[in-house]
Amino acid sequence: MCADLSRTPRTLLVCDRSSFLDHKNRVSSQVEQLHFIYKVSVLLPECNSASSSLDSVFNSFTSFYLIRKLPIYELLDKDFLQSAVYQGSVHGLSFRTRIDEDNCVALMPNGRLTLSLDKDSFELLGFEGKPSRFNHRSCSRFEVSVDLTDSSMAPGGRGYLRLLTGLKSHLQLQTDFLLSHHPGGGASLQALLSRYDWSEHKPKVSRRCLSNLVCPAPRSCDPHSLLEWLGAVDADVRCENSSSSFLSSFVCPEANTTLGHALSVSVSGLLLPHDVQRLIQELRCYLQQPQLESWVSLTVHGFTDSLVSWGGSEHGALIGGQDFYSLLMFHDHTYRLYLSTATCHTCPP
Amino acid sequence: MDEAQIYTQIPHNLVKSLNVKPQSSSKAAAFTEAFLKNSLQKPSQYDLKDMLTHKAVILGYARPKKESAKRSSKKAKGLNARQKRKMKIFQIKPEHQRYELFLPLHELWRQYIVDLCGGLKPTSNPQFVQQKLLKADFHGAIITVVRSKCPSYVGTTGILVQEFKHVFKIITKENKLKVIPKRNSVFAIEINGFVSHIYGSKFEQRASERSAKKFKVRGTIDL
Repeated sequence: MCADLSRTPRTLLVCDRSSFLDHKNRVSSQVEQLHFIYKVSVLLPECNSASSSLDSVFNSFTSFYLIRKLPIYELLDKDFLQSAVYQGSVHGLSFRTRIDEDNCVALMPNGRLTLSLDKDSFELLGFEGKPSRFNHRSCSRFEVSVDLTDSSMAPGGRGYLRLLTGLKSHLQLQTDFLLSHHPGGGASLQALLSRYDWSEHKPKVSRRCLSNLVCPAPRSCDPHSLLEWLGAVDADVRCENSSSSFLSSFVCPEANTTLGHALSVSVSGLLLPHDVQRLIQELRCYLQQPQLESWVSLTVHGFTDSLVSWGGSEHGALIGGQDFYSLLMFHDHTYRLYLSTATCHTCPP
Repeated sequence: MDEAQIYTQIPHNLVKSLNVKPQSSSKAAAFTEAFLKNSLQKPSQYDLKDMLTHKAVILGYARPKKESAKRSSKKAKGLNARQKRKMKIFQIKPEHQRYELFLPLHELWRQYIVDLCGGLKPTSNPQFVQQKLLKADFHGAIITVVRSKCPSYVGTTGILVQEFKHVFKIITKENKLKVIPKRNSVFAIEINGFVSHIYGSKFEQRASERSAKKFKVRGTIDL
């Protein structure tokens, strides 16, 4: 690992500057692209406590379900397909499995089931897949991707039966599974849940009040240092660089001002892009109120061990697996969107 | 003539009329030996006694002709590879590609393996069974592909009809004749509860050649 640290993989930062009023803006499409959201953190400058409407949005994030030891063939169950997959969008992700190491499974809202398998499991499964993009010399990982809404994968069809027997008798894949459904919620998943050991979880909301925060000017600041500063605030790293603390030598970018207080709210869990959309709308309303500092930032993190990143493209954590975006909004409806990935992944759309 | 009569003394009346003197037996023996010694030619290079102990003495010049010539002519009558290919001897006709036709072959194979492994009880040593299976003939066995680099082979099962150097030909329950390469696949064979896995990559021999081959023990095998 030490050798690798000397040449860290290059990362890619895409900056998008536009306005919500521009009807060609791509915010909503970008938000929909990141399927498995682990955490949303919002920074509200010059704010002591969030308004009630904003608070209700934070608290109304859709709850999700954790199923222990779910056999993956249950996702191909006919009733489950009809009640959940065909009806709306299901977000499902294997939990406590590490990408690049374990067998991972993801069920995307467009009905696509993706399995990331190691070589031995792939050979046992007997279903067509393609070598992973993160293989080096030898082919040691494979990605199997099926569209469950396709006609060949309809229950009883040839491809369906083959995958079902593969998962049932050849490769008995079992993982903990995170599941959430929009718009049906738990009701449409109930048939599946009742058969296994499951628990319901509410996304966890945590609020932190910050005082005397040194803050750069968001409009003029260089994007890299601004993102770094946002990260430092989110991770609660002090930027004073005082002599008593040698843990961090990070300093706030120049041309800074000191904010009396700020509020940092973060929500974590398996979140839906749909809820993020609602939050963005609510934040826009919040910005319309007369404020001292007229900007807010919203950062959305994807799951580190999610096997898909932007859109449906493959994701690996071995060489730089970050996928997140930050949205900086101003009161005149303009926004700046920073999308970050490692260069080995596909460029964000 | 009786031997005793030769050795009898000459009767007295004959002694007188013939005027011969009967000799004592010991003297007679000494005389005979001396007579033979003188009268027999002595070949210088051969030891006579030694020669007489040899068993076969061939009299006559011409040896009887062996059957070998006939046999070789019979062999020549057989077909060569090209003719066999042309006549499609080793190809199963489509009308004969039926699963139930090969079930008796499977039963035969089952008996053969049970005999080979000496009964094949559940208490048998699995390693012993595997050692026997390595050298056994597999025609008639029901084999299943459990692992393969090519996903579409996985799960194929059927009766092994023909074994070649690099491929197995099996007939499936759907009466389909399938050709499966040995390389990059793992096969499972079940008999009386014993399931053996065969790594096809290590099995790339003809059945006849495999019986003489020594398999090496390896720690791990990768496809």
